[in-house]
Amino acid sequence: MRVIILGCGRIGSGLAARLGYAGHHVTVIEPVAAALAHLPEGFRGRTLVGDVLDRRILLEAGIDHQDALTAVTPSDDVNIVAARLARLVFRVPRVVARVYNPRAVEIYRRLGVQTVCTTTWGISRIAELLSYSELEPVASLGSDVDILDVAVPPLLVGRPVSVITVPGEIQVAAISRGGRTFLPQPATRLEAGDLLHLVVLAAATDHLVALLRQ
Amino acid sequence: MRVLIVGGGQVGSYLAGLLLEQGHTVTIIEMHEATAVALRHAMPNVTVVHGNGTDPGVLEMAGIHNANLVAAVTGADPTNLVITSLARFAFNVPRAVARVNNPHNTWMFIPEMGVDLALNQAEVLAHLITRTML
Repeated sequence: MRVIILGCGRIGSGLAARLGYAGHHVTVIEPVAAALAHLPEGFRGRTLVGDVLDRRILLEAGIDHQDALTAVTPSDDVNIVAARLARLVFRVPRVVARVYNPRAVEIYRRLGVQTVCTTTWGISRIAELLSYSELEPVASLGSDVDILDVAVPPLLVGRPVSVITVPGEIQVAAISRGGRTFLPQPATRLEAGDLLHLVVLAAATDHLVALLRQ
Repeated sequence: MRVLIVGGGQVGSYLAGLLLEQGHTVTIIEMHEATAVALRHAMPNVTVVHGNGTDPGVLEMAGIHNANLVAAVTGADPTNLVITSLARFAFNVPRAVARVNNPHNTWMFIPEMGVDLALNQAEVLAHLITRTML
C-alpha cells in the first residue's frame, strides 16, 4: 500500500514506523523539519518538509496515485480539509482524519470523511479499563442475559467450577483449554490459561466481578 | 436576506455594516470573547454569537438552518473551508462565500469544499496594481 501521512507528531511518526515496518510505502509530510526526529532510526519511507496543504508538496508526494492518506496534524481544521481534498480532488480511495472535537465526528462521517476522535476513543477506553473491561459481553441473549468470555483469574486456578456458579445468575457454560472446548462439571478444576465462557444474568454482573476478584 | 458571518474581525465587521445598511439580517460568530463583546456594543442591530464557527453546535445556535448565505471570513484558511463545507453540505445553506488569506491556498477554495465564491484580497490587490499601474 502507498500511503501519505500528514503530520509527524507522536501519532504520525508512530503510524509511519508501524506501516513502514509492515512493508508499506510511506511518505510523511511535516511543516517543522525538527519534528521528523520523531521517526525511528532506520525509517526508510520518504519525508517531505512543507505545509501539508501545499498543492506542490502534495503532488511531489504523489498524492494523485496513493492508496491511502491519513491527516494527523494537531489541527482539526487542517485534518478535515486535507482529508476532504484527498478524497474529492485527488481521489485517494482510503482517507482517515484524526480530530479532537467529538461533536463534529458524526457530521464529518456524513460528509464522507472517516475520522478517529482520539478524545472519545481515549475516554471510552479509559472508562472501560476502570470498570473491568474483561467483562464486555461477546453476545447478548435478549436484554437480560449476556455471554461473557473471561480468562481465569490466577487466584481461581485449582478451584472447582462450582465457586463461580450462582444458580439463576451465573453459569460456566464451557471452558476452552489447550485448543479444545468442553462443557465442565461442577467439580471440574480450573487451570491456568483457561478461557471461561459464562452465561450471566445482566443484573448479576457486579456479583460476577466480586467472584472473579476474590 | 439572512446572512451568517463567521469571523468578526475587520473584514467580518465591515461586511456586517454594509449588509445592515442594505437592510439584511446579520449574525456574526466570533471566537474571541473580548471582540464579541466589542462587536455587540458597536453594532446593536447585529446578533453576535461567541464561539467557534467550526463547531456544528455553535453554527446551529447562530441559526445556520435559516441562513440564506454564509460568509466564512476568519483569518485562517482551513477554518474557512471547514465552515463552507459544513454550511453547504451538512446544513444545506444555499450559498457560501469564503475569504482566502494566503493566495497559495486558492486552489482549495472550490465548489467541492462548499465554496461558491472565493474572495482573495491579496490576488485582487496584486492584479489591480499590475493592471492599472504598470
